[in-house]
Amino acid sequence: MKTVIKTSDLSKVYTNIAVPVHALKNVNLEFREGEFTAIVGPSGSGKTTFLNVIGGLDKPTDGHVVIDGVDIATMKESKLFDFRLRHIGFVFQAYNLIPVLTAVENVSFIMLLQNQPKKEMERRAKEMLEQVGLSDKLDVRPSKLSGGQQQRVAVARALASRPDFVLADEPTANLDTESAFNLLDIMARLNKEENITLIFSTHDQRVIDRARRVITLVDGAVDKDEHFERD
Amino acid sequence: MLFILAWRNLWRKKRRTMITVSSIMFAVVLAIVLMSMVNGMKQQMVDSIISNTTGHLQIQDVMYYDEPTMDHAMEYSQEVKDAAAALGDAILYTVPRIEGFCLASKDISSRGVYLMGVLPEKEDRMNELSSRLIEGEMFSSGDDFAVIARGVAQQLDLALGDTIVLLGQGFQGMTAAGHFRVGGILGFPLPDQDNTLVYLPLKEAQTFFAAPDRLISLILMLDDPTRSDQLAERLQQKLDEEWYTVKTWEELMPDKVAAFDARDAQVRVFAWVLYIVAGFGIFGTIITMVHERLREFGILLSIGLKRSQLALVCMLETLFISAIGVIAGIVAGFPIVYWFYNNPIALSDDLADVMIDYGLEPFMSFSIASDIFFYQGLTIFIIALIVGLYPVRKAFRLDMISAARN
Repeated sequence: MKTVIKTSDLSKVYTNIAVPVHALKNVNLEFREGEFTAIVGPSGSGKTTFLNVIGGLDKPTDGHVVIDGVDIATMKESKLFDFRLRHIGFVFQAYNLIPVLTAVENVSFIMLLQNQPKKEMERRAKEMLEQVGLSDKLDVRPSKLSGGQQQRVAVARALASRPDFVLADEPTANLDTESAFNLLDIMARLNKEENITLIFSTHDQRVIDRARRVITLVDGAVDKDEHFERD
Repeated sequence: MLFILAWRNLWRKKRRTMITVSSIMFAVVLAIVLMSMVNGMKQQMVDSIISNTTGHLQIQDVMYYDEPTMDHAMEYSQEVKDAAAALGDAILYTVPRIEGFCLASKDISSRGVYLMGVLPEKEDRMNELSSRLIEGEMFSSGDDFAVIARGVAQQLDLALGDTIVLLGQGFQGMTAAGHFRVGGILGFPLPDQDNTLVYLPLKEAQTFFAAPDRLISLILMLDDPTRSDQLAERLQQKLDEEWYTVKTWEELMPDKVAAFDARDAQVRVFAWVLYIVAGFGIFGTIITMVHERLREFGILLSIGLKRSQLALVCMLETLFISAIGVIAGIVAGFPIVYWFYNNPIALSDDLADVMIDYGLEPFMSFSIASDIFFYQGLTIFIIALIVGLYPVRKAFRLDMISAARN
């Protein structure tokens, strides 16, 4: 399987506070196509920072993040916006849907920014919403959806533009058990069916139990990197 | 989609949008009412000057402006009549005048007066001279009696039917002397006029000044006063420059124009104070709006919107809010101004005296000229857009991670 992301000697130090914090320390990891990975660890272990850095939302202090042969750690911000848009999907803990857009418009939004043809965009958005079980909520705004439904829209949005991989930052943290299982089922299915690479940061044992690879971060460094056989 | 996003964002928090729209609207209403009042007052003064003294344009002898004596009375020639006629409908009507200072006396009293030889029907059209009659009658062109101002009558103890004796400098050194029956008395609000003016029919005055077929000026009243410079130039081309000159009211009244310019400068300062206050008012609401939405901005950036696109969304929102505020301001301001235009504010006491001293009716007039609405709306719109650059700047400088987590 091809390598989707490779990090080498990745470090991140927050210096804009009284005592500098080493959020990441020499992280060397590779993620392969189709992997379902959970990044776990206690609060403050660097999970979210790691996702932000490999997602191009934040710059590392040191080291490299190579995606599709390109080191995004040294990329200019304007290029990084484009790169992120075309290669990376995001699912956030707080859903981060655009409140004034309907479900189908939210899902289309990334594709719109990618300048995809309108018809294709609409077709794909509807298809993705169908895949996450929301075909009857196409024209509903986020405020009228439950938390679980909003997160499913967020998943559909992240996957609709066919990114190389999806980063999900504690996506089940705000969901009840049923909604969380429902969401994990959908993501696991899409991971298998569409061979999408999924990387979660999570505390949630329900996610960890589904992941085929579990990376444990402690104090910004990789403590364990375990692989599991799952159905 | 960005257009839709910006438009829908406005109505997501209606109260917030309405506060911003209201601040722009009130700024526009204030600016419109202020400028309507200022322009209305100025127009009232300009109209007064034009109708009571100079008219829009005057044809004069080329020497008269520098040496205003009877020797520089111009010949009311066919050339002058043809030149005025050639401008066709651009000229509503002409008003011929011969005028000069004289000594007026009755018995042993005498005083300086300003004698105007006029065609009463033309003066009526220009300044409703007959409406100022408080006693007696107004002469017509064929009459031979005088109509005098109230102050002149009081100072010389003249009553209807009495004889006023006039003595002055006629054309080319002739002595101008005559006596005329007082047929009417006029009342003027401006003391300078009330204490000095004496009117005679044009023919009688020309004979008195020994200047038959001569005028001091031919006043031209225009259909469109904004074209006065252009028409003055055209008229001058049709006249012999050696003998005739065409003057606009601004050229004839440079002191008034300077006074208006000084007043306009004061008004501009006042208006800019208003604009700055309005700008800060709008800025305050925009700052609040931006800080309420930092997380949303962070989210948009983190899901893939470019900073320039976020800035465009912010700019579109500002554009929409500004346009709505300005249109609402114009719609709200027009009936206020229109009401005051039809019901000028009556002034009393000292303010009224000041107006009367300036020869104006003691009313505060308003203007409903369309350019007031356009320029005030445009100015506030531009200010709102400049203020709207704040969220744009914020979009370019925002730390998306901390904003999205906020």
